[in-house]
Amino acid sequence: METKKVDTHGLQNIVGDENIREATEDDAIDGIRPSLVVEPGSAEETSEVLKFARSEGLAVSPRGGGTKMGWGNPPRAADIVLSLSRMNEVIEHVPGDQVVRVRAGAKLSYVQQTLFRENQMIALDPPYPDATVGGVIASNDSGPRRYKYNTVRDLIIGTTVVLADGTIAKSGGKVVKNVAGYDFGKLFAGSLGTLGVIVEANFRLHPLPESARTVAVEVGSYEAAQGAAHAVVHSQVEPTAVELHWDGDKKLVSVLLESIPEGVEAKEELAHVLLKPFGEVRTLNDDEYDDLGPVPRPSGGNGEVAVKLSAPPAELASTMEIVLGAAERRGVKARLRGHAATAIVFAGLSGGEGSIAEVVEEAREIMVRRGGSVVVREAPESFKTKVDAWGPAGDHLALSRALKDKFDAAGTLNPGRFIGGI
Amino acid sequence: MSDDKPNVPNGSGNTGQPDDIFETVRQANVDEVGEEGTKTAVEPPKSPTKEGKTSFPAFDAHHPPDKDLINDCVHCGFCLPTCPTYVLFGEEMDSPRGRIYLMNKGLTEEPMNEQMTRHFDLCLGCMACVTSCPSGVQYDKLIEATRSQVERRYERSPEDKAFREMIFQLFPYPNRLRAAAAPMRFYKKFDIGGKLRKSGIMGRMPKRIQAMEALLPDLPKEEKIPEITPPKGEKRYRVGILTGCVQRVFFSKVNAATARVLAAEGCEVVAPKQGCCGALSTHAGREDESMSFAKQTIDTFENLDLDYVIINSAGCGSTMKEYGHILRDEPEYAERAKRFSEKVRDVSEFLQEVGTVAERHPLPTTVAYHDACHLAHAQGIRAQPRKTLTDIPGMEVMEIKEPEVCCGSAGIFNMVEPDTAGQLGERKAKNVAATGAKMIVTSNPGCTLQIQGSLKKMGYGEMPARHPMEVVDASIRGESVESLFE
Amino acid sequence: MERSNLIRTMEGILGEPGVIHEREQLRTYECDGLMNYRVIPDLVVLPETAEQVQSIVKVCYEEGIPFVARGSGTGLSGGALPVESGLLIVMSRMRRIIEVDLENLRMVVEPGVINLWVTNEVAPEGYYYAPDPASQSVSSIGGNLAENSGGVHCLKYGFTTNHVMGAEIVLADGTMVNVGGGKAPDAPGYELLGAFVGSEGTLGIATKITLRLMRKPESVRTLLAAFEDTEEAGGAVSGIIGAGIIPAAIEMMDRLTLEAVEKTVKPGFPDANAVLIVELDGPEDEVASQFDKVEKICEDSKASEIRIAESDDQRALFWKGRKAAFGAMGSVANDYYVQDAVVPRTELGAVLKKIDNLSEEYGLRVANVFHAGDGNLHPLVLYDNDVEGEAKRAEDLAGAIVFACLDHGGSLTGEHGIGEDKKKYMPKMFTDEDMDTMQLLRCAFDPHHLCNPGKIFPTPRLCGERPGPFKMHPLQKAGLVEQF
Repeated sequence: METKKVDTHGLQNIVGDENIREATEDDAIDGIRPSLVVEPGSAEETSEVLKFARSEGLAVSPRGGGTKMGWGNPPRAADIVLSLSRMNEVIEHVPGDQVVRVRAGAKLSYVQQTLFRENQMIALDPPYPDATVGGVIASNDSGPRRYKYNTVRDLIIGTTVVLADGTIAKSGGKVVKNVAGYDFGKLFAGSLGTLGVIVEANFRLHPLPESARTVAVEVGSYEAAQGAAHAVVHSQVEPTAVELHWDGDKKLVSVLLESIPEGVEAKEELAHVLLKPFGEVRTLNDDEYDDLGPVPRPSGGNGEVAVKLSAPPAELASTMEIVLGAAERRGVKARLRGHAATAIVFAGLSGGEGSIAEVVEEAREIMVRRGGSVVVREAPESFKTKVDAWGPAGDHLALSRALKDKFDAAGTLNPGRFIGGI
Repeated sequence: MSDDKPNVPNGSGNTGQPDDIFETVRQANVDEVGEEGTKTAVEPPKSPTKEGKTSFPAFDAHHPPDKDLINDCVHCGFCLPTCPTYVLFGEEMDSPRGRIYLMNKGLTEEPMNEQMTRHFDLCLGCMACVTSCPSGVQYDKLIEATRSQVERRYERSPEDKAFREMIFQLFPYPNRLRAAAAPMRFYKKFDIGGKLRKSGIMGRMPKRIQAMEALLPDLPKEEKIPEITPPKGEKRYRVGILTGCVQRVFFSKVNAATARVLAAEGCEVVAPKQGCCGALSTHAGREDESMSFAKQTIDTFENLDLDYVIINSAGCGSTMKEYGHILRDEPEYAERAKRFSEKVRDVSEFLQEVGTVAERHPLPTTVAYHDACHLAHAQGIRAQPRKTLTDIPGMEVMEIKEPEVCCGSAGIFNMVEPDTAGQLGERKAKNVAATGAKMIVTSNPGCTLQIQGSLKKMGYGEMPARHPMEVVDASIRGESVESLFE
Repeated sequence: MERSNLIRTMEGILGEPGVIHEREQLRTYECDGLMNYRVIPDLVVLPETAEQVQSIVKVCYEEGIPFVARGSGTGLSGGALPVESGLLIVMSRMRRIIEVDLENLRMVVEPGVINLWVTNEVAPEGYYYAPDPASQSVSSIGGNLAENSGGVHCLKYGFTTNHVMGAEIVLADGTMVNVGGGKAPDAPGYELLGAFVGSEGTLGIATKITLRLMRKPESVRTLLAAFEDTEEAGGAVSGIIGAGIIPAAIEMMDRLTLEAVEKTVKPGFPDANAVLIVELDGPEDEVASQFDKVEKICEDSKASEIRIAESDDQRALFWKGRKAAFGAMGSVANDYYVQDAVVPRTELGAVLKKIDNLSEEYGLRVANVFHAGDGNLHPLVLYDNDVEGEAKRAEDLAGAIVFACLDHGGSLTGEHGIGEDKKKYMPKMFTDEDMDTMQLLRCAFDPHHLCNPGKIFPTPRLCGERPGPFKMHPLQKAGLVEQF
């Protein structure tokens, strides 16, 4: 694929010479190497860059921490990487309102540190420490705490985005309760930079839990894992996270309990009682907890293909069966990590590329039929050409195409990376 | 249908356990359409008679629905889920909010035509909306005024007029009613109704006649009560008692039981020669008739030196408490009516108010208590009848699901709108049967007739319906539980 | 299409009982919960299945007839206000509960199902549906979806959009799409469901909705605290939030509201200038400990009286007093205008003072009841329609209050929506670019601008060319529209 040669002159006038550089191998997206990396410092500069790119017919890939550039399908073209790293401030934090406003290029970990000082947090714990806020939104990434606090779409209360034609538009605001106008915060969540570039986001905050404990049960079977998760979910324990660990000898369901000190003990007791029927239960000490999580989950690299399977909660066991069974039958090694209570399973598959592809296709066919999905997260380039990252689009593909058409008619942003070839 | 659904708190006006609605409606539609799930709502029945003449604007200046009362309505819609016709038909026009809207338009902008009249006619007057309204809209006054206007200004078709006239020539006159009912003994004895049904003739008669036929109870021998019943023991109060019309003819034993209970509680019970209290006429908007009956009743009772006037029929009690309003235009009666109404008490209300002295003997059984609309919604009396029953040792009172929803009797409604009343009756009967109680207890003869009829239609004919006073009477006299089932 | 022809066509789809065309009957549908705007619909149709909805919409699409969907008609922003020469599609007969799936904590319902029915259906098993707007006994799920309804439990549990997992939608051209997945989380693709919820019926009509259920909390404790004024009460609220406690609900009522409520519902609240109702729920030990803290904070904030609900009935009474607040206004004034605005919680004190000043300036009383935890205010402007000019003054005052809220960093609406009522204020909160971008979304869903047109945006735009012979859009005819 030919990357267009870009005339840097126009861009220099927008962002300044020092904020443009030539792209290197490291900047490649699924094997496609862009010409330039451009780093605007404001929404206005971002707008000008995009206008420029559009007028020149160039393809732009927005980037935060670069942790998820491998997600989605390989792009049809990538000429400019638009990096948000200079736009990294915390604009405003009002602890009394439990609201924070940040620039999208700020690292989530950095924002959290700022909030911790006031005993607050954005209730998101995705695994990549270098991920930026904008990237987390665009990829709709999440972590174990989603069980209690839900995901990006439920925590974002306002956004400012820049569209491919340079329009700067905001929606929402800085109040938690707000139904004025359409909710772009939600629309842009998971849109992988194909509708616009997120430059600012406002979040509602939660108080930092005062005290935490993790109780884990060793489960011998898929059913035990599902049963343990189910028991805890349908009880009065109200855990913060329920995680599945299934990797070689390690077969656990761990339950994170957070509350005020008086509440945590009661939760721990109840959790022990609920989990006992499913295996040996113990409360983890700090070392064991660090060893366990919150990461790592399979994230690709070294030929491993990272896949995310999503199913209704009552189908955790069968989901595990589907992917592990398919893997075994084809001599593919699989390790699992998942959000047991919401039946989202991350599988790391290693082995022959062709076999892995078959495993993914088979699992996908079954899961989609049941109303779930299988999405390829990270994989070597060669794999990406064999298997579609997303799977079938469903009956809303026409509507999605219409949406893309309205927001980015010229196809400037991340063309080809999204579902249905969008 | 599970029996352990949560109880709907009193006065919340929340009705509708969804599977019940759909069960009833689906069943009604299956019966009607013969196919499962063809529809999810019931069509409002077309007027059973041909169109009458219209007038414009709908209302004239003589007691139209009061604009101030109409303005109390803020259009919030809280009344919708409690209204039986909205629950059945799902249309705005057949909801209290919609009807008030029509009334408002009818004051100056819209004519009184068939559509408008239809929606007013379909209102049961159950006043569940009054209970659920957060703004305190007095819908009861509005619908009564509206009905009067309809009766005066809408020219009903000849068949409709004739049928209604027949009802009002009969029901408010106990002697005529008795005379008309007398042949019923033979009708029932020789099961003429059964023969008519088997031969298919019954099915071909007008729906309204069929409905009346189905409602008819077994006519018992009349149990007269003396003009004065002395109190047992020390005299605490001197009270009058309304013997009623339907009550007197078909349920005279309820009057007898009421008199006995009051006497046992130390009351000197006065039962003068008396006529109709005018409830049916009032609720149907027949203004002149209603006022005439009211005056007559006041004349009958007011000079008897009574502490209270006791009523054992919800519909009657509700109207008699309104006499002040009904006769507000009559200078000779207005004040007297107000003072008279202040003495009116429902019998359960009375017993709880003054306290009981007579010993209650155990009656170990379960009963389901049905809230008559004119007792619960119109008079706000819910706790007293229940307490009157639970004061009896061994008596367990079961709550019926959807207690706020009318049984379909609603005065003459079940005679003039048999389809709608039938659906509501079935729904109530199902809920009653689901309690598992041995008998149903309610304080209104109309409800008794309706629910008994519906229970029979659905195959629960063995379940007797009793008045709270019959139960209390049995308890005071130390009768056995079985006696209540005879 | 000629009207009688349209009636015949609709009767063909729905049968006679499904079509209302007589004038007096149409008039009962001319407004929803907001009486200030009335438009008589051309026709009212009541479908009973999703297929019927599709057929109706297809006819509208082919004939260029605008349409508006309506649930129970209890909205407070005129979202279900009919459109001139348009169809009103009433969803009240689509009210089946289709599936209850406790294992997966979900329920599938038709849009006409009443909010409270959802909880009632699963309450015996110990589950419930969290969004509880004050209208929950009558508002429909479809309507809740359109407005992203809130309720008193928003601060802790979120709004409708956080409890909807999927929806089947009929788009303006009659095609049906399924958005949101509905069974498994994180369906790949755009967050179309998230865009749809709260879109006030302008993007399509939902015909089937998957709701998220939750386990009923183990313990619920409610207290009521009386204060000398709203400022003190506000101090208590700050204290509670500052202590890291997120109450399930935290509501405030001022003197005028308390008066009205005492007249109608008679909950027997203390005689005070401000009353706070705080509710905590969750596991028992956690709640017990936090509740003590809350009590202490109220005491420290100089509460003149604290009442703790000792039973379910008592708690129900506290809430009855709060939830009946709007309706009760009828007892202290002839008319009232309920406003809905949001400010950051830290600005509440300042804004309430401003409202006081404005009330004096305009010479009209304002009763305040609000969700103290998330800053969502409901000032009730009291007036008498029969006094000349008062209605306009009331509207102006209500507008001034909203602007004051915007000045303090708030929003035009917290839960009632923009609808018809507030579209004129949109430019105060959003720039032209902001609104144009939002309309891109609308154009993607409804390029012919037939679905609840004229709502939300002050200047509607038509999106691009329409195929076929040129037919002037009714809004174009009325001169209300520009070409995009």
